[in-house]
Amino acid sequence: MATISVNNIARAIYESTNEKSGVELEVILKNTVKLLSEKHALGKSKEILNKLQKLIDKNEEVVRAKISSKAEIKKGVVSEIEHFIKKRYKVKNAILEFETDDKFLGGIKIEVGDEIIDMTLKSKINRLKNYLVTN
Amino acid sequence: MTKNHIVENLRKQIEKWKDDVKAEKVGHVIEVFDGIAKISGLSDIKASEMVSFPNGEAGVTLNLEEDSIGVIILGDFTKIREGDEVKSTGKILSVPVGNAQIGRVLNALGEPIDGKGAIKTEKNSPIEKVAPGVITRLSVSQAVQTGIKAIDALIPIGRGQRELIIGDRQTGKTAIAIDTILNQKGQDMICVYVSIGQKDSKLRKLQTRLEEGGAMDYTIIVSAGSSESAALSYIAPYTGVTIAENFMDQGKDVLIIYDDLSKHAVAYREISLLLRRPPGREAFPGDVFYLHSKLLERACRRNKEYGGGSITALPIVETQSGDVTAYIPTNVISITDGQMFLETDLFYKGIRPAVNVGLSVSRVGSAAQIKAMKKVSGTLKLDLAQFRELEAFSQFGSDLDESTKNQLERGKRAVEVLKQPQYAPMATEDQVVVLYALTKGFMDDIAIDKIKTFEEGLIEYTRRNAKTFYKEVTTEKMWTDAGEAELVKVMGDFKQSFTK
Repeated sequence: MATISVNNIARAIYESTNEKSGVELEVILKNTVKLLSEKHALGKSKEILNKLQKLIDKNEEVVRAKISSKAEIKKGVVSEIEHFIKKRYKVKNAILEFETDDKFLGGIKIEVGDEIIDMTLKSKINRLKNYLVTN
Repeated sequence: MTKNHIVENLRKQIEKWKDDVKAEKVGHVIEVFDGIAKISGLSDIKASEMVSFPNGEAGVTLNLEEDSIGVIILGDFTKIREGDEVKSTGKILSVPVGNAQIGRVLNALGEPIDGKGAIKTEKNSPIEKVAPGVITRLSVSQAVQTGIKAIDALIPIGRGQRELIIGDRQTGKTAIAIDTILNQKGQDMICVYVSIGQKDSKLRKLQTRLEEGGAMDYTIIVSAGSSESAALSYIAPYTGVTIAENFMDQGKDVLIIYDDLSKHAVAYREISLLLRRPPGREAFPGDVFYLHSKLLERACRRNKEYGGGSITALPIVETQSGDVTAYIPTNVISITDGQMFLETDLFYKGIRPAVNVGLSVSRVGSAAQIKAMKKVSGTLKLDLAQFRELEAFSQFGSDLDESTKNQLERGKRAVEVLKQPQYAPMATEDQVVVLYALTKGFMDDIAIDKIKTFEEGLIEYTRRNAKTFYKEVTTEKMWTDAGEAELVKVMGDFKQSFTK
């Protein structure tokens, strides 16, 4: 029997629940859980939910970004970052998650999916080092 | 340089620097084992794109799957840990190429390993390329002189040809390749020797031998040793041919030797199995034919409009107890334009090079033979085949008629003449003289154990006395009646003094 990938399960759940509500949605969800348990796929529920979240985000034009910096970022800068992300990824909504890290020398780092925009001081120094070594 | 100078210089450099922040695609190592890494993320990555690991190691993508990618690690994988950040480089795996590489020993990534310092090269070239198309090609018509009588006479190789050297271990496969390289001195040929999974001691010996023979002036060695990872063995031949293509693009003729492709296939099998690709016959993956065909198709001869130049490939394949019907031997036999088959039995009988003339063929090489050589070697192959048959028969009885006896005697002498020691390549003109003497019966009444001394003396004597013949064969590639008459007379004279 061919194994069903996590991606396929997530897509199936998304498509069957899309634009459904109330009792209908409840029945579908119950059946889904039953099916997953029968197929011994409940162990993968975390991955499935992750995929499902990504699918929903993609369809609703939302991106999630993680922003790390040494100290908390000022409000004005936050809205600037939000505007930048919306423009860059051409989405309606950006959900930002902030994180502070003492190890940072300065600057910020934006992570969206598997893309990283590294504007920290440390990486800048690294780039300068590479430049000086190669020239 | 004073301290102030250094500071000043540094400041200037820093002032020139412009920082550009780029969005980078990153992935994370999910698992790493046996030179393979599975990586999540990196959604836009291309096939055979290079990725870089935090400690500076490079990797190449081979498997692009739904949620992860499979990467082979080129170098030390022991320092890579789960969760490490992996960056894509946007570059397809490429190696540096340049004329400065001549005379050097390189690893599979094109970096020097001979301790003679860095190599200045101007450009990088991707190692995976599509072979030249039909309209850019020219058929084979110019010879590669190996200097080995048995090969130049019976299984000639032309520039742009792919001729397989196949045989069991210890039958002299590498020896033929090395002799061929040594004989390219002054023949306007650049040689690339790709060593795949060989012992470093063997490589060192070979390098010394080439240096002694002055062959490193036109030779490049690319090596992926047996202690290095399978990934490097896998890319080494592609690196070699990419380096060779750089010279072909300049209109030069290149000879490339892959020693050997069975180890290359084994390295690829290892990688494929680790990447969980389905195994097929002998556990090789399904695309092992393509692995070698895409490599050997890159050997070709280009026509003038496309810059000329050629790559002649001599792949080597090792068989197990003479079994040519195994998977890799049959594959490579069908890809190449012929093969020379070396046999253990012949080797121990003292027939060296141990070429089995019956099983060896060259499908396109005869077009590249010079006319004089064609003339003297034309019937030799048939004669030898008949000799082998008669030899088998004659063991049953002693009553043989005169013509059969003569044929047997001639055959024995032919076998003797085709023997040749290692590192003693022979010029084409000399080969023509010796084979002429053989086919015209000048050796028929010479004792078999004296054939070698006769041959040596004959070459020396005719070189001195049959100058017209030599000149004609060298410049016109064929003798005239006058030249032939001179040769016959000189040979007669020599034989008289020899038998006295």
